Amino acid sequence: MVKLEHKKARLVLRLGDLKLEWAIERRYWRNPLIAVSCLLVLPLLISGRADLVSLLTMASIYACIAIPLTWQITGTSRMNFGPQLFVGVGGFTAGLLGIHAGLGPWQTLPIVILVSLACALLLSPLTIIAKGLYFSLITLLLPLIFLEITYYRSDIFRGETGISGIPHLFDLGSISLNYITGCYFSIALALLFLFIVDKVMRSRLGLYAAAINDNEDVANAVGLNTNRYKVVTFCITSEMIGIAGWLMAHYYGTFAGVTYLPLIFMIKILLMVMIGGRGQLYGAVVGAYFVAFLEYFLTGIGPVHYVVFPLILLILLFILPEGLYGLYRKHRYREYYPTIKVRRKEI
Amino acid sequence: MLLKVDNVTKTFGGVHAVRNVSFSINKGETVGLIGPNGAGKTTLLNVIVGTYKADSGKIELDGNDITTKPPYKICHLGISRTYQLPQAFWDLTAIANVAVAGLCGKHRPDMSYGDAMLEASHCLELVGLFGKRNILARDLTLYELRTLGLARALATTPRLVLIDEAMAGLNPGEALRAVKLIRRLKEEYHLTIFWIEHIMKIIMEAADRVVVLNYGEKIAEGPPKEVINNPTVVEAYLGKKHA
Repeated sequence: MVKLEHKKARLVLRLGDLKLEWAIERRYWRNPLIAVSCLLVLPLLISGRADLVSLLTMASIYACIAIPLTWQITGTSRMNFGPQLFVGVGGFTAGLLGIHAGLGPWQTLPIVILVSLACALLLSPLTIIAKGLYFSLITLLLPLIFLEITYYRSDIFRGETGISGIPHLFDLGSISLNYITGCYFSIALALLFLFIVDKVMRSRLGLYAAAINDNEDVANAVGLNTNRYKVVTFCITSEMIGIAGWLMAHYYGTFAGVTYLPLIFMIKILLMVMIGGRGQLYGAVVGAYFVAFLEYFLTGIGPVHYVVFPLILLILLFILPEGLYGLYRKHRYREYYPTIKVRRKEI
Repeated sequence: MLLKVDNVTKTFGGVHAVRNVSFSINKGETVGLIGPNGAGKTTLLNVIVGTYKADSGKIELDGNDITTKPPYKICHLGISRTYQLPQAFWDLTAIANVAVAGLCGKHRPDMSYGDAMLEASHCLELVGLFGKRNILARDLTLYELRTLGLARALATTPRLVLIDEAMAGLNPGEALRAVKLIRRLKEEYHLTIFWIEHIMKIIMEAADRVVVLNYGEKIAEGPPKEVINNPTVVEAYLGKKHA
């Protein structure tokens, strides 16, 4: 008979004479492999329910937007209020090419990358010219202008109804199989983005980003070319957000500016980024999944999320200005700031 | 001659913050810059490091024109500075603060993160801040922030260090320690120091030469003993009656 007991610091499994022990240490729970394997098993468990699979996909795509955004916020030391502009750019490029030129998802991807890179390069001087509030205001207005254009030129962008009939990402015969594959693909993309940004944040580039976020003038004075760094950061992250837009267009097969470009979508993204703490990478991942699931539960009540999301954001900014990470930092001060061990150099 | 400032003028609107100032600094010298409040001392320093662009005039480092270069390039050429109001990367630990300077201070893309940390710890050791390496900059005291500024300046491997009021806000004991520290660093690293200071006693002892600014203009230059008896300088500080 299997006997499972949970002692204070170890998990013991007894099966007859066989005894298996695992030490439980706190660091094991932070092992990313656990979270990754959970994410990989979850779609299989819920594969019977299409709405949940779709929800998980949506959450992963949200994460694809929130993860690069955290890097952008710290790396440019500016709060971007309009990341959905690049969702729109990526999505419309993919959609228009898909229906007019008849290109498949893999053929539109390089073009989406090029187009969003061009847009990012065009807008990147903003990170040098505009500071603080002005940068936020300009980036807030840009997607709204784009939204107006989609109404005005509804012969191209199809205004309220949006583009439909975009080729799907995978065509494997059965619909449920397509959904599951799309879900896995979105999770994989989110994990890829997480991996890239995590690597960057742990490298010297992450140190530069933290320095710029803290004090741009001093960073420049100690020899960091801040302008170049900010432009490069802005371009790479906008690029990643554009790819998230591409995924949205090809996953749903439709893309409407009215869904992704208005303010309410920005508030969702803002909530994701702020819930974990401004510019906290793992906080943004939690935030993305939280927002997607909250949205799912709120749709049962009615269209209340127009009120609820801003309200949550407001309460959050009052109660937890530093987000969940701030709470964690307050209680586990020593763990949050890991001691850097250095060998003492002989003088 | 390491640094040569030639007829530099800087105006903000109608205010002449620095007007036709010229002087030079030789290698290995300690040059003091004194003057009453609002004389344009910090502005002059900001013009030298490139934070402000000079309206006219020329600044040369080792014969290279650095007047229009951006601050990070001037830092790469070997000028680093400290701040009057201590500035730091507040959310980084002390050692990370110095490591950023070590990594950016010169073109060394081959230097690894670990090497930079090691070098940063060495710099912290020199200024006596090694024990506080894992403390956030925002939690350091004023004296520690000033020494952190020195360590950060040192990590960029400078030839010329511009010190902006290293003593402001320190008590006499701390000020003495800071002076000793700066002297020791100067000797060990063969630095040239350009030192803005309000406390006359310290500048009289430490500086080889003193430049005096008043209303943005240079009114005197020379050895400290001569300058302090110069009637124009006394007038600028104490008024006409004492001159």
